[in-house]
Amino acid sequence: MNPFRLLALTCALLAAPAARCAEQLNLFAWSEYVPQKVIAGFTKETGIRVNYETYASGEEMLSKLLIGGAAYDLVQPPDYIAEAMIKNKLLRPLDRSKLKNLGNLAPEFLGLPHDPEQKFTVPYLTGTVGIVVNTEKVKEPIRGYRDVFQPKFKNRIVVVNDNREIVSWALVTLGLDQNALTPANLATVRPLVAEWIKLVKVFDSDSPKTPLLNGDVDLGVVWSGEAARLIQENKKFSYVLPAEGAHPYVDLLAIPTTAKNVAAAHRFLDYVLRADVSKLISDEFPYTNPNAAARKLLSPEQRANPASYPQLEKFNTFRDIGKAAAGVDKLVTDLKSAK
Amino acid sequence: MSAPSPAVELRHVSKRFGAVAAVEGVSLAVRAGEFLTLLGPSGCGKTTLLRMIAGFEIPDAGAVLLGGADVTALPPHRRDVNQVFQSYALFPHLNVRENIAFGLRMQRRAAKEIAARVGEMVALVALEGCEERKPHQLSGGQRQRVALARALAPRPAVLLLDEPLSALDARLRQTMQLELKRLQRQVGTTFVFVTHDQEEALTISDRIALVNRGRIEQIGTTQEIYHKPATAFAAEFIGQANVMEAEWVGNEPGFARLRVAGIELRVAAEAWPAGVTRARVSIRPEKIHLGKTRPLGGSGFEVRVDEEIFKGATDRFGLVTASGARLIAMVANESALREAIHAGDRVWCAVHADDIVVLRESGNERGQPA
Amino acid sequence: MRAADTSAQRRPGWAAWLLLTPLLVWLLAFVVAPAAILVAYSFAERDELGRVGFGFSLENYGRIADATYVAVFARSVGYAAITTAICAVLGYPVAWCLARASENWRHRLLLLVMIPFWTSFLIRTYAWITILKSEGLLNGLLLWLHAIATPLELLYTPTAVIVGLVYAYLPFMILPIYGSAEKLDPALIEAAHDLGCGPWRTFAQIVVPLTLPGFYAGVLMVFVPAIGMFAITDLMGGARVPMIGNVIQDQFVGQARDKPFGAALAVVFMLLFVAVYWLLQRRAAEREPA
Repeated sequence: MNPFRLLALTCALLAAPAARCAEQLNLFAWSEYVPQKVIAGFTKETGIRVNYETYASGEEMLSKLLIGGAAYDLVQPPDYIAEAMIKNKLLRPLDRSKLKNLGNLAPEFLGLPHDPEQKFTVPYLTGTVGIVVNTEKVKEPIRGYRDVFQPKFKNRIVVVNDNREIVSWALVTLGLDQNALTPANLATVRPLVAEWIKLVKVFDSDSPKTPLLNGDVDLGVVWSGEAARLIQENKKFSYVLPAEGAHPYVDLLAIPTTAKNVAAAHRFLDYVLRADVSKLISDEFPYTNPNAAARKLLSPEQRANPASYPQLEKFNTFRDIGKAAAGVDKLVTDLKSAK
Repeated sequence: MSAPSPAVELRHVSKRFGAVAAVEGVSLAVRAGEFLTLLGPSGCGKTTLLRMIAGFEIPDAGAVLLGGADVTALPPHRRDVNQVFQSYALFPHLNVRENIAFGLRMQRRAAKEIAARVGEMVALVALEGCEERKPHQLSGGQRQRVALARALAPRPAVLLLDEPLSALDARLRQTMQLELKRLQRQVGTTFVFVTHDQEEALTISDRIALVNRGRIEQIGTTQEIYHKPATAFAAEFIGQANVMEAEWVGNEPGFARLRVAGIELRVAAEAWPAGVTRARVSIRPEKIHLGKTRPLGGSGFEVRVDEEIFKGATDRFGLVTASGARLIAMVANESALREAIHAGDRVWCAVHADDIVVLRESGNERGQPA
Repeated sequence: MRAADTSAQRRPGWAAWLLLTPLLVWLLAFVVAPAAILVAYSFAERDELGRVGFGFSLENYGRIADATYVAVFARSVGYAAITTAICAVLGYPVAWCLARASENWRHRLLLLVMIPFWTSFLIRTYAWITILKSEGLLNGLLLWLHAIATPLELLYTPTAVIVGLVYAYLPFMILPIYGSAEKLDPALIEAAHDLGCGPWRTFAQIVVPLTLPGFYAGVLMVFVPAIGMFAITDLMGGARVPMIGNVIQDQFVGQARDKPFGAALAVVFMLLFVAVYWLLQRRAAEREPA
């Protein structure tokens, strides 16, 4: 074939879809958090093509956003990262007039400390960190962290591989504020964290349910979504919010100031706020859905899952801690090393 | 029955590599203390024979004996033979001293003994002063000597040499040939030497086993091999030869009369196999005597000189007989005839009856183009 | 004048530079530039948000000297050393057999060494989890054979980490040694046998010394990446003991959000690599004065 014709043909092929979907949306979100069905449905309805890029931690998202390599239109920060972003003017105020489904959200998920006026963020899914028990192996009642971290359960525990989480559990256990990561507080919790770390068999944030399912451990302090899936799979697992104080978190959707397709971002936000769409998200990812209208569409069984919808009294979320993270990191690294 | 066992004995050994028969039913006895050369063209099986003696190849059939003991199944490291490799195969990470000491160390000799023996070997191959050098710091000839010293150091019953001189230039090669021969006499070890170079074989050997197509064509002293080649292959491979078809035309007292290229020649009666009418004969070029006049006794024949080639010590003449057959003759340059014979001349040839060698057909040459 | 002439001749001409350009660009873009950025970062400071503010401070290096991180470095080096040693012990005979196998077999066996690379590294690691977990294949087999009464604790132990590391890096030990061994003149082996050296002694006295360049390359390719490996310690070790790779990862994309400190750790890690490389080079040079 004539090389020029080949070139022309290639150009035409590459240009064609771009021309058809002139409008697009660059979504930067957690891996395994936005169902393919939802994205496909959005494109079908609006003709807007979605580029879904993923990250494995809120910190990773923030890093990439700050480097500024790509212009993301929509990001999905956890509460404490969103707080830092708002503080540093990295997020764009939302145009509420374009979010007519905002009313679907339950009021308790609005106006939280990270965005008190709800100017920048929309809750996507929320969850808690709680305790999973394999009731076939652990017969006694487990109510809180103190019950989990007992010497007799040594090497039978999985916890999320998250230094701040484990330190916060120790803080609330000792009656301290989970967000007060001062050097003095860190020194106070150090012996307790040291003792706990010695008992843990697996630290895993990505899939803490795996060692529980595999039978390598019998207890876990994990994300509620992971717990909900375990319960879906086998009723022998139960989920308990720690008596010392449960720690919920909210994952949000927000538009960075660098976004190029602001209108498309708003359309996507309003789309996922729709009850029927939000239900699809819950079907795939059984975290706590802040969308009250969507919850009504869930099956009784979904709503009865104790990990998805626990009895939570107070919303005490993580706050931005800035440079204090280094102290937490060193503490846990040190204690793990000493093991 | 008290004859000593041969140093090496092969009994009807055969070896195939896939479809190729490298060695077919070879029997051979190497006498203790002799310098025997396996001579033949490349691919004839001579190296395979050597490797079977060393133990690197196990014969498919037959037996290998060393000093009368059957070693057919013994691995190389348990045979009392050492080899000098074509590529020398010196250990590049060891220096000269360590290379030479290697075999002795394997025998777990005492350090003192090893040192003494290495010194002795270094002196034997005249490498004093090079003991600490690595192989890559040595010249080709020096490497060759190290290989020799290394193989001789453990005092093997038999030393095997696989074309050890082939990597050297012509001059060094000639020096080394003489040195090898001197060395062999000095140490008295049985040498089995492989080469494809007939001149080399003639220079250094006591006996030559001529190998062709996996078989031994002829075995004998260098004199025998040269003067009495058994087959056309032997005649042509070693030196030069005029090999021609001969037809028996009759006997006369003491001689057989033959017709060769239209010329009538005579050989000793006992040299011609009884009852045979046709055979090939070989005449060495230097055995054809040229003269301007007809020789006495009437055994001469007339030829035309077709070409003359000056070869230094000798001259080579291309001759054409009356029937058109071509011959080669060699004349030493001392001869006064040299001035008298030129291309285009007609000259007379004379051949002594004893210099006409009647050949037998090679066993494995049947059906093959000569 | 003469000296100037010869040096001008040795200098590559424009054509040579043109041919070298892609390599130089590649080196500049993917080796020099990232390393320079890393070094610059390591002297910088982070702000509240985790952004890098350029300046000059040795604080990050000071923090590395802290016992916590020295211990992490030491442990990482220890695990990598054990991994390298096991890979060497397992890999040497395999590489040697590969090199000595007949042409036909050699290609098949080499293929077997390479096949794991066709699958994602993570999938292969998960396969090991399936084998080693409490209710996994190995425990199942041992229970079925009545070799054990209760499942062995295999996964999430240091042993599991070593198994994972050895599995991941073994081909990187086998292939360079194989490369060296294949080039080894078979006559040298025959010469050793001929001089009364049995197979084992030949391996130790001839094969190993003469394939050391391949072995050193293997050590470099196993030891250095093994120090920095974090996925295996996370997945098979349960992230119980932090390795230097985990700590660095945490600084860049994890909660610590401290790129300058991560960069300082990475620079020390690079220096460690340079040191190992230099040591091996020197040893090789000592053996073979060219």
